[in-house]
Amino acid sequence: MAVDCSALSSVTLCPTFWAGLGAGLSVLLSAIGAGLGIGISGPAIAGAGVERPEVMLKTFIATILAEALAIYGLVVGLLSVFDITPALTIEKGVRIFAAGLTMGAAALGAGFGIGAAGSAMASATAEKPEIFSRAVISLILAEALAIYALVTGLLLLFTGAT
Amino acid sequence: MYSDTLSHLVRDNYLIARLRGNRSRLLGRQQLFALSESKSQTEIIGLLAEGPYGPELSKLGVGFADSVMSLSRASGGDTRDFLVQYRRRFDAYSVASLVVFKAQGKTWDEYLTTRLPLALMKEQELHRLYSLDDLSIIAREAGDRHLVNRVKGFSIADIEGEKASLVRDVISGWGEERFYKHIDEKMSGSDRMNCLPIAGSAIDMANLTIIIRSKLIGASGVRDHLIPSHWKLNQRAIDQLLAAADATQALEAAASHEYYGRILSGARQKYEESKSLSFIEVALRRYQLDLSRRLFLGFPYSVGIVLAFLVLKENEARNLAAVLAGVAAGLPTDELRSLLAIQE
Repeated sequence: MAVDCSALSSVTLCPTFWAGLGAGLSVLLSAIGAGLGIGISGPAIAGAGVERPEVMLKTFIATILAEALAIYGLVVGLLSVFDITPALTIEKGVRIFAAGLTMGAAALGAGFGIGAAGSAMASATAEKPEIFSRAVISLILAEALAIYALVTGLLLLFTGAT
Repeated sequence: MYSDTLSHLVRDNYLIARLRGNRSRLLGRQQLFALSESKSQTEIIGLLAEGPYGPELSKLGVGFADSVMSLSRASGGDTRDFLVQYRRRFDAYSVASLVVFKAQGKTWDEYLTTRLPLALMKEQELHRLYSLDDLSIIAREAGDRHLVNRVKGFSIADIEGEKASLVRDVISGWGEERFYKHIDEKMSGSDRMNCLPIAGSAIDMANLTIIIRSKLIGASGVRDHLIPSHWKLNQRAIDQLLAAADATQALEAAASHEYYGRILSGARQKYEESKSLSFIEVALRRYQLDLSRRLFLGFPYSVGIVLAFLVLKENEARNLAAVLAGVAAGLPTDELRSLLAIQE
């Protein structure tokens, strides 16, 4: 059943408020996570590149994976925005909020993980290029955290009440 | 502690990646052994040109200094302060060698060719010190009241042989203490914990060398020349060393020390074979190499990693200098290899 937000005594009972907050958090927190990931791993990649230019392209994977976090957040955010209609129910509004918060918070954590692991991976690869394929595993595992959240977020958006 | 780690993670990861890349190019055991078998310095240069030193062979003499200065430029905050303090050690080495050169009657130009590029003291400043004839004034101008007190009783006119080495050890030890104090007092958390064993062992070995050398020349008032700070060679151990009747007894006492015993085992025999205390320096370098290797295996975001790399790089420079000097002097390969500190 659609809710008329202007008739409500508190904004927290308005489904559009929750849905909008969820969409915003998804994009904002994911962007912060991606920024952290790129900001932390980037200098280490540059440092590795100064000493061993041949490994720079390989180690660049850390920034690509960090950038992907922002894309996941954007996907959840945009899908959430498309769902914000006058017919939005309070249940659907809260689901959109949960989806956005899940995606955003997970991307924030994954971004820090990718930054720290990517930085160590770049340093280790600069020292021993042959260990790249093993050092990159921790980076992929950090990225997987955000993928779990993406899947959960999409399920929250596409299942349950409309 | 966590804020230190976070600041290293965010600020020093560029530096750490660079020094890890650099570490892979350090000369290994096989390369150093091959160099020690060379017949001439030209052959050494040829062998180095084939290895990782190839591209920078022309500046081999300042390779270590270049590395440190490049790291210093890439660093920031307390890591940069740390590197400045590390470089101040070389000021003490410069002053120590200046005093010895002066005592040997060598000219300023002769001294200038051996000047350490890492020292922060300017050439003009060193030249002014070289013009002074009073050791206590040199100590006051270049150092502080602690250094003045520690060189009391020595004068440039009567420094020769082992006594010159003793004065050099006292001044260098003062520099090591200054570095140790920076780590002990200005650093905290894992940075302090990782760096302290390396700097602490250096001051302990400096004290040990001062005591043994004093016993060799029969110098009195040894306690006044010692570094008051200590790491594992505590006051009780120092009293024990000072109470020894002669240098060999002191070496035996050092070899049975609960902490340093394992790196100084067979000290008396080594001294009797070589009639030199250089084995203490080699033992210290081997011990510091081991500490550095362990630091590289641990958590990467700490100033300890920077110091570990500097230890490895400085050791490589000293090994290369020993090989070049040993080959030029025609030392037998076995004897030359005993002067090298190589990771086991």
